[in-house]
Amino acid sequence: MLIGSADPQALAAHVATLQGFDGEPQKLPCVETLQLAFEFESAGMEALLPPALHPTLPPVVTWLVQRVDSSPWGSFQLAQCRIECRSGLRPRGFLRAGAIDNPEAGVQLAARWGYSLRGAEIRLDRAYDRIRALVSSGGRTLLDLELRDPAPVRGEDVFYVASMNLAHTPRGLRLVQVDPEFEVERAERGRPVLRHFEAAEWNAGGVRPRHPVSASFTLGAVTLPALRYVCRPDVLAFEGSERVG
Amino acid sequence: MKFGIFFELSVPRPLTGEREVFENALAQARLADALGFETAWAVEHHFLEEYSHSSAPELFLTAVAMQTRRIRVGHGAVVCVPEINHPIRVAERAAFLDVLSGGRLEFGTARSSTWTEIGGFEADPDATKKDWDEYVRVLPRMWKEPRFAHQGRCFSMPERAVLPKPLQRPHPPMWVTVTSPGTELDAAERGLGCLGVAAASFAEQERRTREYHHRIRSCEPVGGTVNDRVSTLNFLYCHEEAKIAAERGLRFLGTFAMLNAHLLFTREVYPTSAYQSLANLAPAPSRSGGAPGDAPRVPDGLCLGDPEQIVRAVKRWESIGVDEINFLLNASEVLPQQQVLDSLQLFAREVMPAFRPC
Repeated sequence: MLIGSADPQALAAHVATLQGFDGEPQKLPCVETLQLAFEFESAGMEALLPPALHPTLPPVVTWLVQRVDSSPWGSFQLAQCRIECRSGLRPRGFLRAGAIDNPEAGVQLAARWGYSLRGAEIRLDRAYDRIRALVSSGGRTLLDLELRDPAPVRGEDVFYVASMNLAHTPRGLRLVQVDPEFEVERAERGRPVLRHFEAAEWNAGGVRPRHPVSASFTLGAVTLPALRYVCRPDVLAFEGSERVG
Repeated sequence: MKFGIFFELSVPRPLTGEREVFENALAQARLADALGFETAWAVEHHFLEEYSHSSAPELFLTAVAMQTRRIRVGHGAVVCVPEINHPIRVAERAAFLDVLSGGRLEFGTARSSTWTEIGGFEADPDATKKDWDEYVRVLPRMWKEPRFAHQGRCFSMPERAVLPKPLQRPHPPMWVTVTSPGTELDAAERGLGCLGVAAASFAEQERRTREYHHRIRSCEPVGGTVNDRVSTLNFLYCHEEAKIAAERGLRFLGTFAMLNAHLLFTREVYPTSAYQSLANLAPAPSRSGGAPGDAPRVPDGLCLGDPEQIVRAVKRWESIGVDEINFLLNASEVLPQQQVLDSLQLFAREVMPAFRPC
């Protein structure tokens, strides 16, 4: 059985600090979400995950780029780079790094849900024939991807896995399970095109995307949930899961 | 109630032990034949490291057939997707196996649920259900008709004799693997057997069985005969001492569940209405406190226990209309071969007699 081999303490250098486990859910009423999935070269895939998590075969990287029209912290755009994985028997996405264009929202997402985010300029543009996301910092492109030729699908056809966000928490270094609820009003899928990915900038230096899998886009409310579980990153989830909610 | 055995042929890392795994499985099949089990099934999977190295099950089943006298061989299930198996080759291989086995073939059909496999062959996930439907309608005709021609959606062929013809008339019994809820109705509408390969709860299996039997009464059979049997998948480890049975059985179940859960399911990464569930096969070991980290216990209905416990579980399955139970016997060789063989013998000695027809 394949098991992650990354040193949690080494990963901890880049992670957020969670303030507590008793936060209330937060509904974000109108969120656009572009998600792309690519298979990547399997060499070194275990080194991208802590020992609590298992890689999938083939290994898959997903990018989520979201535009949130309104929130208690104002509008914001968020980009995430995640590695598909398993926590015990459950499908999850391990957050390697993220970016956000609203510092106040970034502080809240880090403190309440453990998202590790850097500041960046993020654009999510919709055209008739494509939906494109561009993430840049200081004039340097970090991520450039698009969904080509969008076609409608049913909302329930799009699947989002819960995130595992490594964070410093009141219980120590933990993987924080964040399982947003998507109320999809509209969904599309299309051909995934990755134009540029600066893997090292996403704390994902070993990720070399090779084979496109899918691209989807949804529109609807997203609720960031109250936290229920965290997991020690250094042992298997069966041993290290802890209930917090 | 009939009993079968079911092989995934899982190989522990470092993935060099196929020879031992295959030999152990053949020995289990020989013993099952001698003990009165009905069918030895072998799955078809591709690229599923550790979980299943059963990429050419027709070869494995040929070996089973050559080393046994009575047990039926279950080709369960052939992936009916043209990028993976051309339908003509499916018909030929299955008929060949039926002839070689002396008419002992049970023929299962499926469409694969993992991106690992579908993506690996660059098949179209949106098309697999339609592909499967076309296969199950043409395969019986290839077997029955002296010469066959076809103009279809997923393949076409000019008139040819597809050879050999199966030994069983009109053709071997046909099945559909059922993982996602609703597939049992696809099976029923076509007059195909319901080959359950995902462990379901008693209540869920009872609902599926009831609806299957109701629907199959008005089926339009795709083949020359209706197969109205319902089988389920289960896990077998039988030991005189319940505590030992549970301890070893949970190790076996946990290993299988982990390997299965680590497959990359199509539903997870490819948005399509063609795959509505992840299609995990194994129940997670129950947790005494209901949360991750709590002590595991054997889920209801699994045959991981002493003979008395297993008789009770099988009687419950029987009471809700299940005709056959197919047992996984091991996962990634986590149980030593002698324990597997001892478990089979104890089951045959202490459990099977409770289900023999009078």
